[in-house]
Amino acid sequence: MTLFSLAKRNIIGNFKNYLLYFLSMIFSVVIYHTFVSLRYSSEIEKNIESFQSMRSVFLQASIILIAFVAVFIWYSNAFFTKKRKKEVGMYSLLGLRKKTIGKMMFYENLLMGAGAVIAGVLLSTLLSKMFTMLLLRLLGTDVDVGFTLSLEAFGNTIFVFTCIILITSIQGYRLIYNFNLIELFQADKEGEPLPEVSMIGVIIGTILLVFGYWIAFQPVDSNGQILRNLLLIMGSIVTGTYLLFRTAIVYLLKKAKEHKSSYYNGINIIGTSHLLYRIKGNARMLTMIALLSALTLSAITIGTSQYYNFTTHAKQLEPFSYTYISKGDIEEEKIKEIIYEDKNHPVQAELTVPLLKVHTDPSDTDLPEYLEQLMAEFPEEDFINLISAKTFNQVSAALDRNEKVTLSGNEAAMIKPRYTHDSFSDYEGRTITLKLPEEEKQVRFTHLLEGRVLSWRYPDAYIVLSDELYSEMEKQIQPVAYKTYQVKDQKNTELTSNQLHQLGFDDLKLSTFYKVYKRGLESAGQDIFTLGFLGLVFLAATGCMIYFKQLTEAHSDKGRYEILRKIGVRKKEVLTTISKQSLFIFLLPLIVGISHNLMIVKVLLGINLIGGDISIPILTSIGFYIAIYLGYYILTVNTYYKIVNL
Amino acid sequence: MKMVVDVKSVKKVYGAKGNVFTALDGIDLSVMEGEFIGIMGPSGAGKSTLLNVIATIDQPTSGDIFIDGTSILTMNEDQLASFRRDKLGFLFQDYNLLDTLSVKENIVLPLALAKVNVKELERRVDDIADTFGIRPILEKYPYQISGGQKQRTAASRAIITNPRLLLADEPTGALDSKSATDLLESLKELNEHRQATVFMVTHDAFAASYCKRVLFIKDGKIFTEIVKGTSPRKEFFNKVLDVLSVLGGGTSDTV
Ligand SMILES: Nc1ncnc2c1ncn2[C@@H]1O[C@H](COP(=O)(O)OP(=O)(O)OP(=O)(O)O)[C@@H](O)[C@H]1O
Ligand SMILES: [Mg+2]
Repeated sequence: MTLFSLAKRNIIGNFKNYLLYFLSMIFSVVIYHTFVSLRYSSEIEKNIESFQSMRSVFLQASIILIAFVAVFIWYSNAFFTKKRKKEVGMYSLLGLRKKTIGKMMFYENLLMGAGAVIAGVLLSTLLSKMFTMLLLRLLGTDVDVGFTLSLEAFGNTIFVFTCIILITSIQGYRLIYNFNLIELFQADKEGEPLPEVSMIGVIIGTILLVFGYWIAFQPVDSNGQILRNLLLIMGSIVTGTYLLFRTAIVYLLKKAKEHKSSYYNGINIIGTSHLLYRIKGNARMLTMIALLSALTLSAITIGTSQYYNFTTHAKQLEPFSYTYISKGDIEEEKIKEIIYEDKNHPVQAELTVPLLKVHTDPSDTDLPEYLEQLMAEFPEEDFINLISAKTFNQVSAALDRNEKVTLSGNEAAMIKPRYTHDSFSDYEGRTITLKLPEEEKQVRFTHLLEGRVLSWRYPDAYIVLSDELYSEMEKQIQPVAYKTYQVKDQKNTELTSNQLHQLGFDDLKLSTFYKVYKRGLESAGQDIFTLGFLGLVFLAATGCMIYFKQLTEAHSDKGRYEILRKIGVRKKEVLTTISKQSLFIFLLPLIVGISHNLMIVKVLLGINLIGGDISIPILTSIGFYIAIYLGYYILTVNTYYKIVNL
Repeated sequence: MKMVVDVKSVKKVYGAKGNVFTALDGIDLSVMEGEFIGIMGPSGAGKSTLLNVIATIDQPTSGDIFIDGTSILTMNEDQLASFRRDKLGFLFQDYNLLDTLSVKENIVLPLALAKVNVKELERRVDDIADTFGIRPILEKYPYQISGGQKQRTAASRAIITNPRLLLADEPTGALDSKSATDLLESLKELNEHRQATVFMVTHDAFAASYCKRVLFIKDGKIFTEIVKGTSPRKEFFNKVLDVLSVLGGGTSDTV
């Protein structure tokens, strides 16, 4: 019998043992290949304007996926190998040479890997059609997608998995060399000493977590700081979580054990001792699941928040449907004509917004912080835009906003700059000296307004003045007049918007709501897809991890529950204790994951990666996650119960 | 006297068609309250199987068993569990200790399941630990103790609830003669002072000589039975040896 056929027989003979490992490899191949196929998809390329930027997002995501897939396969491999140590020991005892055994393990893993890649690629070809359609729909394009096979994608997948499988195969080869016989035989010997409670671990873990969270709540200014903080947070959270799972749970369980009146009360003794018995092996898994859950949740939260908020963002970036600088040329007539010709989108409001561009005095010391920074950045430019209260109120009315302002004398109102977290207290009582050709005027901030008036451009500094003051200044500088239109159903003004942009009147700084909206839609769609995809993968992975782990435990618990039944434990009690134990295993990482997620969201808000109203996205993501987890939980308890009651 | 267990023409057949094995072949047996019955017979005769069906952890293929007058066929899963928990003590041939629990926890498990209060529970462990000399190993785990210590742990678990019916499958198999005698004495004490009915499977004629009645099983049938009556233990011991020499499969020992 050749080695190769021995390895083959091994696989067929112990199919059940192999199935789990095989399935997790297939799973990895499927997600990876599906994703890579999207990256190389010609269908998507044809239908998306910003395909290049999309590609880079996909590239980054696929790097994360490679890391994930590698860890996942490595994890399942370790799990699988552990269960086979005895078998390997047996071969050795039977007189097979180490080299022979090593080769056998190597071929075996290689064979399974090859099988998994083939199966995975086939499966994912079906899936990628579905995902392509989903992606295109999210991006607002509806097309029918056929089956396509991309050679590039195929090559990419093969390359990545050949590397991973080769590494795990080599690990398999070395197994027999890394342990001596007695260790191999004792691999699954029942009973391990109970882990000691290390108070130091609990303390360090807590400190690390508190530290990580504390950093998350610190304000950041520069990019360097952001990077440093992210690394610090990641390091302290990962280690902290692990230490806490490793130690605090043991501590809690031991405390539960010491509380005799509840420990020795019915089936509790079984649940607690089972959890304690396995905690060492479970700590790593729980950590991994808690962290993956946090990542998944954050991914989903970011995705949904972008999708949920992009219309609001677009409205802030581009308050009016169409905006341009009016210079009184004939060109303008052309624009006006096009806008009015669009009968599907009748004009609801047409407004002229006059605006004064001025500079501030460099020696001004009482500036609000934000303006001070702009001042330093643009020392030469007239970056301050002044509008009158009357104009502001007209804009509010035209855009159906409720915000109104009344100012008198040298009172001024700042329009809240985008991408800042400034509040009124940052401006209250501060003054700014406006430089006019004939004089300098000092105004005092008395309000902070939310409503945006014109298209967003950096530097973003709009100050509203009282009507008297404004008209006084108007005499000294020539205002720039913006012409703005608000039309009905502006989200669908693609045709008109394109027509206007094609006119090529660049000096009019023409901008349209539709263009901004569409760009937002594409990037939000892309984000929600990529993040959703990653989230789904992580979700499936965490679910599988718990599920598989619980099932293997169920198999090893079978004998224990049989004994319990023999001494008179009722089926109902068995179900109770299984539900409680599984709840513990599911709930802990979920709670920790949710809490980490909230912290991560806080960090992302701080660095403006997400913004707007995020309470609804957060709640939906968490709700969604809990619902899925509940499903996993019920499935696990059911299967567990069936296995031990066979 | 009340009849505790009534076994009526019980058959137990293992395996599916083509490859069947009859482990019990029509056993009839009535056990009165307070009896101390020994069961002997060659290995594979069906002794453990008989205990298992009486303990309701295995079902007879045909026939019926009445426990306190109720047929086990009419009892549902919960009633059977209650019976095992509240009335039965079972000392398994292969101990059936839980490896996730310490020796002490294994012993108190039946009490915990019955929700006996902690004080009472601790008191009983205390008693039993002294009786069986297992105090030093109370906090150890099954994988850390010897075979004989496991057997004593299993015995402690079986009798800690003061069961009304105690089934012991080769309770002295792994014990030295001192521990074996201690165990037998406590079974006797349970039987005599607490009116427990004891069933004991054994290969050891010395252990059998503690019984009031010994049944011999061969090939799934009751071969014969002998009763101690008023005869002294030594004489009864010799009688057991006589039957065993006819039957084959026993081990002999001197008293
Ligand atoms: N689950 C089973 N499936 C098939 N056959 C079984 C099963 N359990 C027991 N047997 C067979 O039934 C017969 C009786 O077994 P049992 O365990 O009752 O023997 P025993 O009298 O207790 O023997 P020993 O003294 O060795 O413990 C044996 O021949 C055994 O092979
Ligand atoms: Mg037996």
